[in-house]
Amino acid sequence: QDSGAKLLASKNILNEWLVEGRDLTIRYSIYNVGSSAALNVALADETFHDSDFRVISGQTRVQWDRIAPASNVTHTVILQPMKSGYFNFSSATVMYQPSEDAEPIIGYTSSPGEEGIVPFKDFDRKFSPHYVDWGAFAVMILPSIGIPFLLWYRSKSKYENAALAAKNKKH
Amino acid sequence: SRASLVASAQAEDRVEDVLEGEDIEDEDDEDDDDEDGQIETEDEGAAGGEKTAAAKSGDEEEAEEEEEVEKLKAAEDVETTLLFTKNADKEIPVNKLIQILVGFTNNGKQNYMVENIHASLRYPQDFTYYIQNFTSREYNTVVEPGKEATLEYIFQASESLALRPFGFVMELNYKDTEGNPFMDAVFNDTVQFVEQDEGLDTETFFLYVFLVALVILLAVGAQQLLASYGKKRKAPKPVVETGTQNHTGIDYDWIPKENIAAKKSPSPRKSPRRRTKRTTGSGDE
Repeated sequence: QDSGAKLLASKNILNEWLVEGRDLTIRYSIYNVGSSAALNVALADETFHDSDFRVISGQTRVQWDRIAPASNVTHTVILQPMKSGYFNFSSATVMYQPSEDAEPIIGYTSSPGEEGIVPFKDFDRKFSPHYVDWGAFAVMILPSIGIPFLLWYRSKSKYENAALAAKNKKH
Repeated sequence: SRASLVASAQAEDRVEDVLEGEDIEDEDDEDDDDEDGQIETEDEGAAGGEKTAAAKSGDEEEAEEEEEVEKLKAAEDVETTLLFTKNADKEIPVNKLIQILVGFTNNGKQNYMVENIHASLRYPQDFTYYIQNFTSREYNTVVEPGKEATLEYIFQASESLALRPFGFVMELNYKDTEGNPFMDAVFNDTVQFVEQDEGLDTETFFLYVFLVALVILLAVGAQQLLASYGKKRKAPKPVVETGTQNHTGIDYDWIPKENIAAKKSPSPRKSPRRRTKRTTGSGDE
């Protein structure tokens, strides 16, 4: 029963929105639930092809010399999806030796499953600050505010000039 | 005919399971009718003999078999482990996403197809009584011989479940290459749902903000009240009617400035010298 180290590995997407051309964070967590340290742990994720994803930061292949029992390690990778549409995020592989001079074991991490990658245009439409739209709005509301203001300003300056003229006449 | 009998028994068993819930507790109850031929380590001879006897016998025997065929079991060459990543096993915080990792190790010689994990809450005194089913998660991943896979199950318990014990059962369903179903209760225990007090939640935070605002409002009100009370005491000076001579007591703010200027100059009756005298404040003159 006591078979040395035993690793459980999860793979999670930390982003709420998966957007084409924007950063996407993947977190791998490896938990050792066995009784001894796992040796030569190699995590490899071959599921992100160069045609679909660009690695911004981190590596898709990592190695740990040992992971102590009842401890865990995490690793994150930042990617940018290059295409929109649905993508099946499947498992990465974890290879490790449960004990010294034991055969390496190959395990799969959990898989986040199929997720939709939103096209940048759609995302932008929803979340951008819309400067152009607000500018157009400002131009459009200009007449309805500007015309009454001009009328008021004209009558104001008329009365001010009259008062000034009267004052000057007295002195 | 034996195969069809087993199949029909299984089908009815499923219906039964759906209707009355599966009894997870008596796993030891040896009953391999439905798994005959799947578990390599079982002595097939005895089980098979029994089965043919059952098949040959009459209806009452069949009924008995149905009684016995209660539930699916775990395959012997599959090892499962379970880990709550964020909390202790027996205490599950409510209103938080709980991540559970299930390790699935295939020690056998054939592929296993992991289908889904189904989690449910049971009445703690009677695990056959379902209280709530959580959404089951489909995996449909194949685990080759000698390999292991980690399955993730995430759920969130409602706040209304807090502070009560529940029977929590997680069932892992999988198939072998021949399509024979297996089921492993990876977690089967009584758990307590707890409410975590995280120091400061938004509700109490804004309650305190509101209380502080109320205190400040009261303080300002009291200060205003005291100030006005003190002023009244201090100012008993009799106000003397000064008419329009004394300009100090008159509020000209409402008149535009240019109009005051225009008004002041054209009054020729009053000499500017007289105007300077009014600094005494007595308006008798």
